[in-house]
Amino acid sequence: MTVPLGAYVVVSAALFFIGCAGVLVRRNAVVILMCVELMLNAANLALVAFSRKYGSIDERGSVFVIFVFVIAAAEVAVGLAIVLSAYRNRPVVDVDEIHQMKG
Amino acid sequence: MTYDFVEPVVFALLSIGLIAGGVAVVMLSRITAAALLMAFTFLSMAGMFVLLGAETIALFQVLIYVGAITVLILYGVMFTKFSDRPRALFFQRQTPFAAVFVAAVAIPVAIIALSFTSPTPRPGGGDLIPLATSVFTDFAFPFEIASVLLLAAMIGAIVLTKRDEPEEAAARRRR
Repeated sequence: MTVPLGAYVVVSAALFFIGCAGVLVRRNAVVILMCVELMLNAANLALVAFSRKYGSIDERGSVFVIFVFVIAAAEVAVGLAIVLSAYRNRPVVDVDEIHQMKG
Repeated sequence: MTYDFVEPVVFALLSIGLIAGGVAVVMLSRITAAALLMAFTFLSMAGMFVLLGAETIALFQVLIYVGAITVLILYGVMFTKFSDRPRALFFQRQTPFAAVFVAAVAIPVAIIALSFTSPTPRPGGGDLIPLATSVFTDFAFPFEIASVLLLAAMIGAIVLTKRDEPEEAAARRRR
């Protein structure tokens, strides 16, 4: 008895929407970055599941997971740098409070 | 006696770990605990990849997510000062709208996700050789672009977090 593909997709969708809810409702910028990472990871699970269950022999789906890893690393580095430089100007990390660039 | 029951049991345990970790990241007020639970979620995801037979992806998951990204986020937590707050203050004002939006998108996705039927399972086995063959033949150009992107992100992060020189000089003069 193997686990069906649908189960992986359901877990992936659940984790994605948990992350999506976190991005929408949390105020803390660092927590928002963490929730974005959760969403990317959920998408990775769906990609690997489809690649392993459906894919051809050359693992095309898993290659995209490698690229998602690269983008995630770049994103979190630049995101944290932006949060830290905003924090240095005014010591707040709530996204509601950061409005220096608002017109 | 067969060991067919092992895979669904491991899958169920890993799913519980993933969902519980994700919910904890969203709901916890203490940021450090949320970051460590995020690392736990990433580890469960690595277990999921092993269960799917993608050992190389699981290895990268542990290296990049559990190793690098969690450490980076923990540094971000340590450099910014937080105080624990009541629940009403760490959620944004638009929480009800967010709930409606997420539910509106999640319900169709759940219906589609539940309707997937599994094709005949492929034989397992290492995924390193097919993965490497794809990356270095068909995806060689995106691979190089990704390396340029990483370089740009690295320089960008350094430039963004670097202190301004005049400001530093003024701080020294004040001292």
